[in-house]
Amino acid sequence: MTSSDIGDTNDTFRQESQELLEELERVLLDLEHRPTDGDLIDCAFRALHTLKGSGAMFGFDRLAAFTHHVETAFDRVRKGEIKATADLIELTLAAKDRMRLLIEAPDEVDEASGEQVLARLQDVVAGASTDAAPADVAPAEGRPATWRVCFRLPVGAMSSGSNPLLMIEELHDLGEATVVAQTDSIPPLDELDPGECYVGWDVQLRTTASRETIEQVFLFLLDDMELSIERLEAPADAGYAEGGPLEESDDVPVVAEAPSVQPPPAEAAALQDEPAQKSSAAPSPEQTPRAASAGAKSGGSVRVPAERLDEMMDRVGELVIAQSRLKQLTKASEESQIKSVVEEIERLAGELQDITMGVRMVAIGTLFGRFRRLVHDISNDLGKEIELVTEGEETELDKTMIERLADPLVHLIRNSSDHGLETPTGRAEAGKPAKGRITLTARHAGAEVLISVRDDGRGLDRERIQARAEDNGLIAPGAKPADQDLFKLIFEPGFSTAKEVTNLSGRGVGMDVVKRTIDELRGAIDVRSQTGEGSEVTLRLPLTLAIIDGLLVRVGRSRYVIPLSAVEECVELTPEADVRSTGRSFLNIRDELVPFIRLRELFRSQVGSDPFQKVVIVSAGGARVGLVVDQVLGDHQTVIKSLSKLHSDVKSFSGATILGDGTVALILDVPQLVEDGQAHDDRFKAAS
Amino acid sequence: MQTNMLDEPLEVLTLALQGEIFALEAQQVREILDLVPVTEVPGAQPFVDKIINVRGKVVPVADLRLKFGMEQAEDTVDTRIVVIELDIDRMSAIVGIRADKVYEVTELAPSSLAAVPRVGMRWRPEYIRFIGKRDDDFIVVPDIARILSPNAIDLVAEQASLDRKSASVALAGG
Amino acid sequence: MKTVLSVDDSASVRQMVQLTLQGAGYQVIQANDGADGLAKAKSTQVDMVVTDLNMPVMNGLSLIQALRKLPDYRGVPIIFLTTESDAGVKQQAKAAGATGWITKPFQKDQLVAVVKKVLGS
Repeated sequence: MTSSDIGDTNDTFRQESQELLEELERVLLDLEHRPTDGDLIDCAFRALHTLKGSGAMFGFDRLAAFTHHVETAFDRVRKGEIKATADLIELTLAAKDRMRLLIEAPDEVDEASGEQVLARLQDVVAGASTDAAPADVAPAEGRPATWRVCFRLPVGAMSSGSNPLLMIEELHDLGEATVVAQTDSIPPLDELDPGECYVGWDVQLRTTASRETIEQVFLFLLDDMELSIERLEAPADAGYAEGGPLEESDDVPVVAEAPSVQPPPAEAAALQDEPAQKSSAAPSPEQTPRAASAGAKSGGSVRVPAERLDEMMDRVGELVIAQSRLKQLTKASEESQIKSVVEEIERLAGELQDITMGVRMVAIGTLFGRFRRLVHDISNDLGKEIELVTEGEETELDKTMIERLADPLVHLIRNSSDHGLETPTGRAEAGKPAKGRITLTARHAGAEVLISVRDDGRGLDRERIQARAEDNGLIAPGAKPADQDLFKLIFEPGFSTAKEVTNLSGRGVGMDVVKRTIDELRGAIDVRSQTGEGSEVTLRLPLTLAIIDGLLVRVGRSRYVIPLSAVEECVELTPEADVRSTGRSFLNIRDELVPFIRLRELFRSQVGSDPFQKVVIVSAGGARVGLVVDQVLGDHQTVIKSLSKLHSDVKSFSGATILGDGTVALILDVPQLVEDGQAHDDRFKAAS
Repeated sequence: MQTNMLDEPLEVLTLALQGEIFALEAQQVREILDLVPVTEVPGAQPFVDKIINVRGKVVPVADLRLKFGMEQAEDTVDTRIVVIELDIDRMSAIVGIRADKVYEVTELAPSSLAAVPRVGMRWRPEYIRFIGKRDDDFIVVPDIARILSPNAIDLVAEQASLDRKSASVALAGG
Repeated sequence: MKTVLSVDDSASVRQMVQLTLQGAGYQVIQANDGADGLAKAKSTQVDMVVTDLNMPVMNGLSLIQALRKLPDYRGVPIIFLTTESDAGVKQQAKAAGATGWITKPFQKDQLVAVVKKVLGS
């Protein structure tokens, strides 16, 4: 926590206590009229309780000490031991005033008046409370010794969140530990409750830590568990228990030992005092290293409002543009000093860009995690056992994209659960394991992110989809589209082939929303299915980082940007090759036929082509296409600006960018162009 | 889908397109730019196939003359791009409207429908947002959102067929 | 990154817990009473819960009981904050299913120590 953080929390405390004091006053005044109102009394108590607790935590010791007495009085009222008399209320109001002073200007408050109030309070309450300050129990640290620690968790400990492995780790942290598991109490499989811990442990520990420190490891279960801590005079020999029964140690199991660790404030003190230990010769246990590392890591993480991040990204983007313009302007200059500064700025802008790019990226695991609960609920609703497996949680996507993918993925998971996975009987008949499996994977591939939802259900029903598509007029009757094209039709509006509309899906509403969202994200959907084995829907999304590396090209008089991550290579298109490939759709690139697109034709450029054109070979989703351009102009730091809604029908571009001279250049949508290229390919293949 | 008559004064920016005067709601207007270099967008609809850079934002430029079936004269020194912000299909959009000339911000007064002459109105009532009066003239405030919406029908073709149907185009829900 | 749900009606305690645990590498979600905490725990699966006992609407004890009824929260560590030296309260909370406790007032490193104890890093 930085000092400003501390300042912040102090401010918050002040503000909060202000509110609490005001509330306390209100409640007390109400209480005057309704002195037996339980709610009011509870309210007052809680306010005092919170003020005391927070006060102590933020260093307002006098407030805490003072409030404690008032709180004790109200506790007794709460318990019904005394009544909320007018005197008491009066006094409490006075106390409240004092509390306020203790917060606002503690230095100006004198003790005497406080004592007076408390004395009168005591009179009214007729019984002072005792509160011993936490006793400092300092366990002796000293020479290394060998201990034998045998323990076994009580029934239900694991369900209540205890983790014996962490305890063992803590023992390891104390020194050298040899751990042997005691498996004798593990019941046969059909009696085994997987949420229970039947294993006990026998640990030999060589450490400088004291017995109390060792006990602290088991702090929360001391009262309920089996624990024996025995100091050994010599290191254990080979006869050390290996699967043998827990031996009775000389020390009585801890139920009786517990009192030696009381009073309870000592526990807090015990946890508290380790960092204060300066006298121990040997390295002290977990606390100091942990305190140190907690301090070192105090840079941790910071919460930032999303808008501020977006603003920052915008500024960086503009900086990159301005910097690139500056570079252009100084290109002609002879001034070496200016040029070197410009280069420096370019380097800094680049680094800043790299850093901020990382800021917007979020691992998709955050999204996947939410689906566990979803699958669990669906599983219950449908009466099907469904298991969710995820891969690639660390795959990073732009923050805004992750949010928009949530709904489509939910739809796909529901669809797979509802229609893809068979009922338990169905699965049994098909010889499949009872648990249906839905696998969510995410990975990067070139300039795209692939996210897929796969199920091991019955697969898509080709005939039904074909029939439905014909009914809806999406394909001509009798047409034989390829599987993947046919399956894609399930995303058309109103398509649902579900025989019944279940609560979850079947209204044909979900899938076209999926398509629409993916379209808006300028992505694509692929569907694969194997009858009887399952189906897989893959979402292909562009990596729309706000700033990418681009290749600037010229087609006719216009300039365009191609995302560099999609570019495989650039080759020359000699005039002869150009002529040879006129009227054809393929280029021979090192003996491989690559479909190509003349961008001049696609973009209806009026200008005649250059004699030496270039072919930029790009790839997406494993397929390639060559884009014929007039000139390759070079690398360009591309700040992606999205296109207006009015251009949502424009297919070939995924966005736009501002060039160094202030004009706009469109960014080519590589996956779309690759798809177009493939369409040529298919037609060609179909024709031949 | 009635054409709305103004029932209270409306602040507008008046501009000219091919000799005709139109108006845009002043509260939609963000800024007025001189002509700047434009980039063509291959594959976009003809009336909105240009984009410009407005302080780092990529803004499409709409040429309403194409939507109104007007001729497209060359740009002049008076040509301006009026950048407006409005809701199209329930989403906020920024668009530049190309104008031959921009006049001024003025107030349109309410007027009754009956008083509006039928002559000279070339488009469907749906694409008129308001008709108001300034001095003795009636000025149309077109419904830009509807005109530019991807769902808008082709006004020119519509117009041709409307002309064929009847000589007088009724304004009041025709 | 592990997520901790911090349930306390005191904003300053919540803030302190948040800053402390975030500094130690955990993600923190806040709730300001038991009912809020339960709702948040249901909507986001967290790795651990730290809760005060004395809260309006739904107190800590009821929250612990309610959480332990959820199958997703079986085995998730729940720590409660208490100023009571009264062993009775501790027993009650443990019976309700709490994993452990921290006594108030507590220092930041105590909080981190307890979280690491029951959750690992």
